[in-house]
Amino acid sequence: MSTTIPIGPFHPVLEEPEYITLQVEGETVVSADIELGRIHRGMELLAEEKTFDQDVFLVERICGICSASHSWTATLAMEDIAGITVPDRARYLRTIVHELERLHSHMLWVGLAGHIIGYWTVFMWGWKYREPVLDALEAITGNRNNYAWYCPGGVRRDVPDDIWPPIVKAMDEFAEKTNLLIDVILNDPVILCRLKGVGILSKEDAIAYGVLGPTARGSGVDIDVRRDESYGAYDEVDWKVIVQPDGDCLAVGVVRLLEMIEATKIIKQCIKKLPKGEIRNEVREIPRGEGIGHIEAPRGECFHFIRSNGTNMPERHKMRAPTFLNIPSYRPRVKGETISDATLIFAVIDPCYSCTERMAAIDSDGSRVANGHDLIKLSHQRTEWLRKNL
Amino acid sequence: MSKKVLEALRMKFGDRVDIHEQSPKRAYVAVSNADWIAVTRHMYEVEGGRLTTATGSDRSTGVELLYHFAFDREGTVVNIRTTLDKPFPKIEALTKYYPAADFIEREIFDFLGVEFVGHPDPRKILSSHDRPADFHPMRRDE
Repeated sequence: MSTTIPIGPFHPVLEEPEYITLQVEGETVVSADIELGRIHRGMELLAEEKTFDQDVFLVERICGICSASHSWTATLAMEDIAGITVPDRARYLRTIVHELERLHSHMLWVGLAGHIIGYWTVFMWGWKYREPVLDALEAITGNRNNYAWYCPGGVRRDVPDDIWPPIVKAMDEFAEKTNLLIDVILNDPVILCRLKGVGILSKEDAIAYGVLGPTARGSGVDIDVRRDESYGAYDEVDWKVIVQPDGDCLAVGVVRLLEMIEATKIIKQCIKKLPKGEIRNEVREIPRGEGIGHIEAPRGECFHFIRSNGTNMPERHKMRAPTFLNIPSYRPRVKGETISDATLIFAVIDPCYSCTERMAAIDSDGSRVANGHDLIKLSHQRTEWLRKNL
Repeated sequence: MSKKVLEALRMKFGDRVDIHEQSPKRAYVAVSNADWIAVTRHMYEVEGGRLTTATGSDRSTGVELLYHFAFDREGTVVNIRTTLDKPFPKIEALTKYYPAADFIEREIFDFLGVEFVGHPDPRKILSSHDRPADFHPMRRDE
């Protein structure tokens, strides 16, 4: 006799609306069904009514976290139609912003994973370490999210050279903190009990379900568009694709943690080798034709197909985010697991979630009383007080 | 380009596939409705292509399906195209043989009303719950 347990559409763990129905026998999940569509915004139809320039801004707003990924993918598709080449400096600048996005996306996931398993220290640390990455993005592009950085033919703005030393320093510190987190997570028996051997996706299933990004690499599928398609500056810097064979929640987490270290290496090398020169080649028109762009977003391959009929608006603009193909793999993954692991297994694919607010405490009369640094200071004082008095 | 993949397609299907190599990394292959499932299965089962997604579009000639198969090792994408007759487009589902096509084919059914014969779970996926069963938002003839 099985029981039906609904999760969502609004649930404290899943910040975006998705509706999951679990069939359970006792504590064990026997099957799962996922319903999407509560956040559908009709962007593919909307894109057909925008010009190519406007389209880049539109796709940037598909996701607050992957805003660089979608806009780069769309510009690659347009460049594929028109045969546009990109100046070397623009290729490097594009790569730097995209890897910074990978850093903050993965660190956000590490924090959320800590939140889901009830390990609040990891949540607090992870999100604190993520802040300097957003500061770096703000310094380069002017925004913490929705960067308006990519355009057909290159990037929109150039940056002065004196911007880079603090970012290199921030990357060194970020790598140091990530190594600390890796050390904490891999040596904590409680975390290992919660993650190891839970929600296994076999390599065969990963290929059959066509999963992407860290979800695929955590199951031993060695795919990464950055290496395979070699767009941007990825073939001119030294880095490696992280693959783990086990397919469980721990393996996917380890892939993301180690990828952050690789991303800091890519960013530092790109800054060091950043060529001088133009940042954009002029694009007069997108001719009639069909083009494809795909890149490795933080969650996996992001894919856009554009058909142009020679006007200034696309005839068809297909967009596919990685989560769309990662979600169906939840079914084989959750079968036979317990209810308590069901949300963690869902979160392991890192379903999309956006967060752009800054932290600031506001008093009831509307005046600002403390910013993030003040609150950290208060927290330190409180810890000191506890040490002395308990 | 995936020369080997395209050569194998030519060898197996002869004149029935119309191959257009747009660039060293992109190729478009047009096939008839009758050969559709054989060609797409060949791409996955024999050549090891990964179905990244599919684009459905309503064009003057009918509803066009374009399945994008990525060959990760070569960094190439081979696109298989066919056009279905309106007003009731219908084709065999690839999901029967390749689970990755599940959500992809449900999305095309949802927005363009293509019936995927043999699909194990032919429900709508993204459009709103009160969408009339015969209304498909990306069809241009309604």
